[in-house]
Amino acid sequence: MIPVLVKREFTSRVKGTAYIITTILGVLVFVGLSFLPPLIERFSASITPGQIDLVVYEQPGKSSIFPFLQQVSVERDGFTVRSGSDLDEREAYRMVLDEGLSGLLLVDGPLYTLVTADASNMMLNDEIENILNLAVSRHNAVRLGLSAEDVSSLFSPADFRIREVSPLGEDGEEVDSAAHAQAMVLAYFLLFMIYMALIMYGNMVASGVAEEKSSRIMEVMVSTVKPLELMLGKIIGVGSLGLLQFFIWIGTGLLMNTMGSSGALGMMLGISEPLSTIPLDTVLWFGLYFVLGYFLYASIFAAAGALVSRVEEVSQVVTIIMMLIMVGFFGAYISFLNPNSGFAVATSLIPFTSPMVMFSRIVLGSPSLMEVIASVLVLLVSVLVGAWISGKIYRIGILMYGKRLTLRQVLMLVRE
Amino acid sequence: MSLIAAEITKRFRDVTAVDNLTFSVQGGSLFGFLGPNGAGKTTTMRVVLGIIRPDEGQVTWNGTPFRRLGRGFFGYLPEERGLYPKMRVAEHLEFLGRIHGLDKRKAQIETERWIDRFDLGELRHKRIEELSKGNQQKVQTIGTMLHDPELLVLDEPFSGLDPVNTALLKEVLLESHKRGKTIIFSSHRMDQVEEICEDIVLIDRGRLVLHGNLRQIKRSMGRQILRISLEGNEDFWYKIPGMELLTSRADFQEFRLGEGVDPNYVLREAMQAGQVLRFELVEPSLDQIFVEKVGVGA
Repeated sequence: MIPVLVKREFTSRVKGTAYIITTILGVLVFVGLSFLPPLIERFSASITPGQIDLVVYEQPGKSSIFPFLQQVSVERDGFTVRSGSDLDEREAYRMVLDEGLSGLLLVDGPLYTLVTADASNMMLNDEIENILNLAVSRHNAVRLGLSAEDVSSLFSPADFRIREVSPLGEDGEEVDSAAHAQAMVLAYFLLFMIYMALIMYGNMVASGVAEEKSSRIMEVMVSTVKPLELMLGKIIGVGSLGLLQFFIWIGTGLLMNTMGSSGALGMMLGISEPLSTIPLDTVLWFGLYFVLGYFLYASIFAAAGALVSRVEEVSQVVTIIMMLIMVGFFGAYISFLNPNSGFAVATSLIPFTSPMVMFSRIVLGSPSLMEVIASVLVLLVSVLVGAWISGKIYRIGILMYGKRLTLRQVLMLVRE
Repeated sequence: MSLIAAEITKRFRDVTAVDNLTFSVQGGSLFGFLGPNGAGKTTTMRVVLGIIRPDEGQVTWNGTPFRRLGRGFFGYLPEERGLYPKMRVAEHLEFLGRIHGLDKRKAQIETERWIDRFDLGELRHKRIEELSKGNQQKVQTIGTMLHDPELLVLDEPFSGLDPVNTALLKEVLLESHKRGKTIIFSSHRMDQVEEICEDIVLIDRGRLVLHGNLRQIKRSMGRQILRISLEGNEDFWYKIPGMELLTSRADFQEFRLGEGVDPNYVLREAMQAGQVLRFELVEPSLDQIFVEKVGVGA
């Protein structure tokens, strides 16, 4: 019986305008992302300052910063500097305005003031500050009697590596920090997919149930089909719609990925290698937690949908479920920073958050096998218990119209 | 072969919707299920169909609990009509056939047959939401019969249908009846129940009021209804104690005779009052029985 229900759910929705539009929008987003790098280049070019022209006005006598600024202007394209010390301060202001210069730099001992016609151009101000810093540090180096090599060695960063020891490998394995960054972006991307799927398809399930109630088809359905079958038919039907959408989107991403070096997924993940470098076990873990998490939440969404009489009321009852999902998402996000913290370990065992947190931990950290098994088991049991309880609420809720049930009444129904 | 509902009780928190209700439906009969609004008809039907479980009692078919009968056993048209609004007519009928246990081919064949019979050919590819209420109801009614169920439960099947379709549906129902199918239907239209049903059950406030063969029920009510048509003093009956005027029509007046009123005495009085054109003792109509037993208009 369930296949007939799944098929109805699937075919009647797959032709729906809403589904087609979201699928196409998703495809456009993925296609659009592959055009993002050139777009970003253009965009950033338009806001970075092109030409910088400065006039420097110095109090005479002190050792001058001007030669060092001149030195920078020789090394740097698009930067000119001239001295305005022979001018009157008023005249210098006028020059900035008349000639459209970037600004006038007033030097008074250790105090540098930029006088500019447009103080709101942050990019320009930052750039001028950078140039000034460079000139000042060179100035200081000369004053302290340091050579150019001394200066460069002063500012060169330490060669920092990380090595993780485990009881098995005594020397420990060196952590590839680039690979770790990639894993992090990948985990974030997939986590976001789980989060979106739970909210999108969960809502679809809830409003689907409410639709069946408000169109009053429900009574005919439950006279022939068991409520649990009806619920599973809906959950699996909507779930397969979701999978199809994901396949289309990820397929688009792959296609764009292979079509150019500025591939969509590669871009999105911040890596230039093709998607095939995503480890298979990550994909499998993703699948497992995706399916289990979806089943857990979809059955709760179905029960919530059964509590209201009309589709418009759905949003009132699903808020609390959405908040649970968000908690899971932020929990996972926090555990990105330290995948083996007590917080992350705890939330990777709680079934409402574990699909997102445990998945992230597996990709990023190395949770012990016991923790993984425990998390999967707890989640699996929760899926069964959740489906059972939701099935009960669903069975009673689907024939109730009118006033919405309070949480207490729902609990009483479950206990019956 | 019979359906037996034994000592059914169903409570909703503090309301007892069905109260220790016992009745039986002979297999192959046309059975009327009557009661005023809020009497517990829908709840009883839902219990019979296994949609909700009774707190006490059980419903059996030849001794088998209803829950163990297959999907194809019932056809149910609830009072609140409902279909999937986005599905198309033929597609929806096929779906209803399938969930009632037909395989794909059989569901298609039956869909075609019924679409022809109810003249829905042009609407075949229309969405349900584009159909008129009457046509939606036709589709849903077909959906209850597509799989040729042993037991049809129809809640107000004629409401919303025009005379042509009412006649068509009646014909179809009588046809299934001839083939030995059991049909339970509820209606507020007592004339329709009288026209079709052999047996009835009447419930009020969840309790059984009347149950049995309609003819026998009528007979047992006694010939207490008198129709008189008279040329002369029509008000002669004022002086006869125990006579109650029920209706006054152009062609006759209808009275209820009180306990111990002798019809012959009334006839003699009438003859004195004028020329008697009509004097007839009749069985009460179902409408009258209903009003008498339940005390409110149907």
